[in-house]
Amino acid sequence: MVEQLSPLGPVWKPGSYGNLSRGVGVTISEIRPGSIVEAAAWHGSEKKLIAAIAKVTGLKLPDGAGGGVFKNGKGAFGIAPTRFLLVDQAEGLAERLLTVVPVDMGSVVDLSHGRTAIRISGPKAEWVLSKFFAIDFSETAFPLGSGKATVYHDFFTQIQRTAPQAFDLYVFRSFARSFWQLLCHGAEDVGYEVF
Amino acid sequence: MSPRRSSAGGRVDRTRTIRFTFDGRSFTGHAGDTLASALLANGMTLFGRSFKYHRPRGVMTAGIDEPNALVTLLKGDIREPNIPVTEIEIYDGLNAVSQNRSPSLAFDVGAINQYAGKLISAGFYYKTFMGPVIGPLKGTRFWMFCERFIRRAAGLGHAGTTADTARYERMNAFCDVLVVGGGPAGLMAAKAAASDGARVIVADLEAAFGGTAKWSGDVIDGKPASEWAAELADELAGMENVRLLPRTTVWGYYDGNTLAALERVSDHKANPESGEPRHRHWTIRAKTVVLATGGFERPLIFPGNDIPGVMLAGAVERFAGEYGVLPGERIALFTNNDSAYAAAANLKRAGAMVVAIIDVRPEISAAARELASKAGAEVRLGQAVVAAEGGKALTGVKVRNFEAATGMISGDPASLAVDCLAVSGGWSPAVHLASQAGGKPEWDEALQAFLPPKPTQKWIGAGAFTGAATTASAIADGQRAGLKAAGILAQGKEKLPSVSEPALDPSPAPVLEVRAHGKAFVDFQHDVTADDVRLAHQEGFISVEHLKRYTTLGMATDQGKTSNVPGLAIMADARGLSIPQVGTTRFRPPFSAVSLGSVAGERVGHIRPDRLTPMHDWHVEQGARMYAAGLWYRPMIYGAPGETVEQAYVREAKAVRESVGIVDVSTLGKIAVQGPDAAEFLDRVYTNLFSTLPVGKARYGLMLREDGLAMDDGTTWRLGENDFLMTTTTANAGKVMQHLEYFLDVVWPELKVHVTSVSDQWAGAAVAGPKSRDVLAACVTGTKVDNETLPFMGIVHGEIDGVPVMICRLSFSGEMAFEVYCGAGYGLQVWEALIEAGKPFNIVPYGLEALGTLRIEKGHVTGAEIDGRTTARDLHLGWLLSKKKPFIGSAMMDREGFVAPTRLQLVGLVSLDGRPLTGGAHIVENGSAEQLGQSIGHITATCYSPALGKYIGLALVRDGKSRHGKRAVISDPLRDRFGPVEIVNHIFFDPDGSRMHG
Repeated sequence: MVEQLSPLGPVWKPGSYGNLSRGVGVTISEIRPGSIVEAAAWHGSEKKLIAAIAKVTGLKLPDGAGGGVFKNGKGAFGIAPTRFLLVDQAEGLAERLLTVVPVDMGSVVDLSHGRTAIRISGPKAEWVLSKFFAIDFSETAFPLGSGKATVYHDFFTQIQRTAPQAFDLYVFRSFARSFWQLLCHGAEDVGYEVF
Repeated sequence: MSPRRSSAGGRVDRTRTIRFTFDGRSFTGHAGDTLASALLANGMTLFGRSFKYHRPRGVMTAGIDEPNALVTLLKGDIREPNIPVTEIEIYDGLNAVSQNRSPSLAFDVGAINQYAGKLISAGFYYKTFMGPVIGPLKGTRFWMFCERFIRRAAGLGHAGTTADTARYERMNAFCDVLVVGGGPAGLMAAKAAASDGARVIVADLEAAFGGTAKWSGDVIDGKPASEWAAELADELAGMENVRLLPRTTVWGYYDGNTLAALERVSDHKANPESGEPRHRHWTIRAKTVVLATGGFERPLIFPGNDIPGVMLAGAVERFAGEYGVLPGERIALFTNNDSAYAAAANLKRAGAMVVAIIDVRPEISAAARELASKAGAEVRLGQAVVAAEGGKALTGVKVRNFEAATGMISGDPASLAVDCLAVSGGWSPAVHLASQAGGKPEWDEALQAFLPPKPTQKWIGAGAFTGAATTASAIADGQRAGLKAAGILAQGKEKLPSVSEPALDPSPAPVLEVRAHGKAFVDFQHDVTADDVRLAHQEGFISVEHLKRYTTLGMATDQGKTSNVPGLAIMADARGLSIPQVGTTRFRPPFSAVSLGSVAGERVGHIRPDRLTPMHDWHVEQGARMYAAGLWYRPMIYGAPGETVEQAYVREAKAVRESVGIVDVSTLGKIAVQGPDAAEFLDRVYTNLFSTLPVGKARYGLMLREDGLAMDDGTTWRLGENDFLMTTTTANAGKVMQHLEYFLDVVWPELKVHVTSVSDQWAGAAVAGPKSRDVLAACVTGTKVDNETLPFMGIVHGEIDGVPVMICRLSFSGEMAFEVYCGAGYGLQVWEALIEAGKPFNIVPYGLEALGTLRIEKGHVTGAEIDGRTTARDLHLGWLLSKKKPFIGSAMMDREGFVAPTRLQLVGLVSLDGRPLTGGAHIVENGSAEQLGQSIGHITATCYSPALGKYIGLALVRDGKSRHGKRAVISDPLRDRFGPVEIVNHIFFDPDGSRMHG
């Protein structure tokens, strides 16, 4: 099996950095899910698509804007009306979805190479992300499993809360190296670890 | 211990000594001191020189409203001017210098301006502009002569020229309740709001919370107010739902309850911690805002009121109470209201000698009398200070009888020897944010102040901001506001703290000016006197807005915090109107100075991302010279040692024509167009048909804007019946995506089509040249690549080095060529496999310069020609305009102006003097360097063509097609390039396409 090459290249440097005097504020890592897929329903077919997603992934998406679910390394969340981003540790999710999403229900696009997944976790994750995104990251406004599609200047980013103190960020692959550096820079004041 | 420093009291830590320098002289202070309190403790009275007259100035206030004592801070090579000493927390190594003086603060030659009298009164420069006639110097010439001297003599500090290396950042915050101001009202509001779990942010511009409680001397719940406030702040800091932001100025109130704040994170430290910014800009989105911003004390206007030692009463009280510093040894107070009496008593308690209290009122409250008695001060009612005396420090004041109702002065002057005069002209609520939020402040006759307007956004006022004059009312007000802001209906849920404070009369006498002989200042920062305001009136500048512009009253860094109401009062008096009839200026952001760095945040360096292809590192390792193409970084050339750019791209392009080359095309925009109506959608978007395109084939397409002009071109591949892969130019990828989304969302929502950006999903390599098929044959498995299997515009799927690939035969270079796409994560592996397979054929990687050369030779267009002004026909792409269907732009493309014969058309150019052509140069029919003819067009792209052995170019020339074979001249005066060219067909090489199709 051929392995995907990380877009981070030389800027991925495992270790501890920044102001660690109060401990490690965040941990930043590139997670490499086997599949990142965008699935979209035609208007009126949303519920059918949600059911199809559940059938293939076992993830039961709530019905509503930004709703999402993260379970056993699999994630799904709304990124726009009728559109969802789906993540699976296994490869081939797009192909599996295509077997249950007929053309009159919606579309499926494989983005496994097109998006880079970066996880930021730790007690200061909300603090660091708030430097970039005009989003309320508190658990009440951004509950576990839910997601947002947002932008920080040129960086289009889709974000899912995967744990009380962890967020998975999906950025365009070509932007990933710059975004990684930006994120690390922003985490210096709270101390960060890379792995 | 300094003689001006009390042995106890205040929040300074007397056990910690801090060393700093001012004007090169070493001083010491204590932890918790501001530069103002530390210098005052050292007996300093002279802090700066005034803007215009260079008069000696001392510190006047103890806070952000300070107009006089501005200094420049030096930190390494960085200098930051105009910082109020009252806002600078000292630290070891702090280095500050005074401003607007030469050669020194004590001896300033500019002080001669004081004697220029009316020559430099308000608006003098407007008059000078029109200028007297002095010999040859008349009108504006006289101004130009004077300007250099005036500019040198006037002003504040000078900014540095060294790049600011400090770190700044921006932060977003959301909360249920934002409390602005951390005084008693603000702290109570925060506590009340947070009690039921609301998310609360409390911002205060000072280092320590507590506001007036830090120095008022009140007793709250049986303990000193300062202790009560500190405990409450600690309690709030311990609450998970509360964020305290000290040193944070909320400076802007914008629509949607969005507020801007500046946090001075590390200005008070010698060195910031790792990763710590100097300033942090907060954008706070609050459901409700509690404005507890307090008030500003006003000065009284009388001759000599700017002499160092004349200070606001509240400031003197604060220096004594919060910092344990007495600004003078013999202090008198001059007031129109009761608050100065509390100050007097507190000063006495701090150890000061309070000589007298001069009050313009004939009668005062019993509570005030009691306080005066506690202060041991002589009370002089119905009197006023008619002159302050001294030079660089106050030596005494002259006092005469004063009738508050008429302003009449009578009787013989009495002299009082004092070195500090604490004045109070009453209080103005700090309504700035409320005014910014919308609404006009309302005048309150009893308080002689503008009170906040009725809210037009979701804010609630509390404390002195609303005009509340006592700590007890501020606390009650704060609790009420906090509960209301958090939506907690049960008022009085918590017991209010008990407050012990004097019952003073909150209403001042309506007296702000004592008209006597001498310069009496209204706006201290801009040297605007009471006579200047009257001069403005006399000269017709009676509107508040005109008054401000004519006199500069209320401008500069303090934004008139101390001068606003006194200035209005003088104008009102001059006009015979009341203050509200004269009006008030509406406050705009920022409330106080904001560093530009904080506004920019991190918008330097990383913020401009580099978009990198999967093969980027390989290009760099191979010595490619990279350059930015939009956000992308792309190889320009892979130069060999000693090669020029031209030599390199000529070599690379030649290799493509003769054997094979490979270029990274991953940057092309790629959009997945999917759905049962995808083909129909593409028919509408492109000028040509795509519904007839078979699965497994690609087609070149052109799209127009709605106005009929060309927008972008590219190939679109049909991967399945309902599945297309559209490619766009690199530069227009985002624009095309928006274009498609707009039409799907707004114009044709009935179409079942989804578009998704997959630009980054695919890595792309174009293999071009007569040997390109051989290269693919050597490495592709799972499919044949012969002409039958992979004809021109055909698509096949296979593998290279175990990686699934999609190959389309299409050409930008004019040679037989193939674009090989694979998942971006495999891009480097496939690229290297292609290079390896190409070695027997001497495959050459080529950059954008060679790519450009090959396309110019073929006359293919790019963004240089599709420039937003050209039509399809201008570019000889009329054959793509389908007559079988409508499409975006089809209704407009035949407008008269778009089919006129005089339009610029794409042509080729050949340099006839053997020299390079220059992009952007004009094409001139007849002309020379000496006599330029009329432009008939311009050059869009140039190169040296290895295929032709000449310098060639593409150009847009008026009626270009009819000029083929004719000569013209290029004219590029800017780069001094003139020379003869021949206008030719835009396709220079292989016009029948046999190489591409072979």
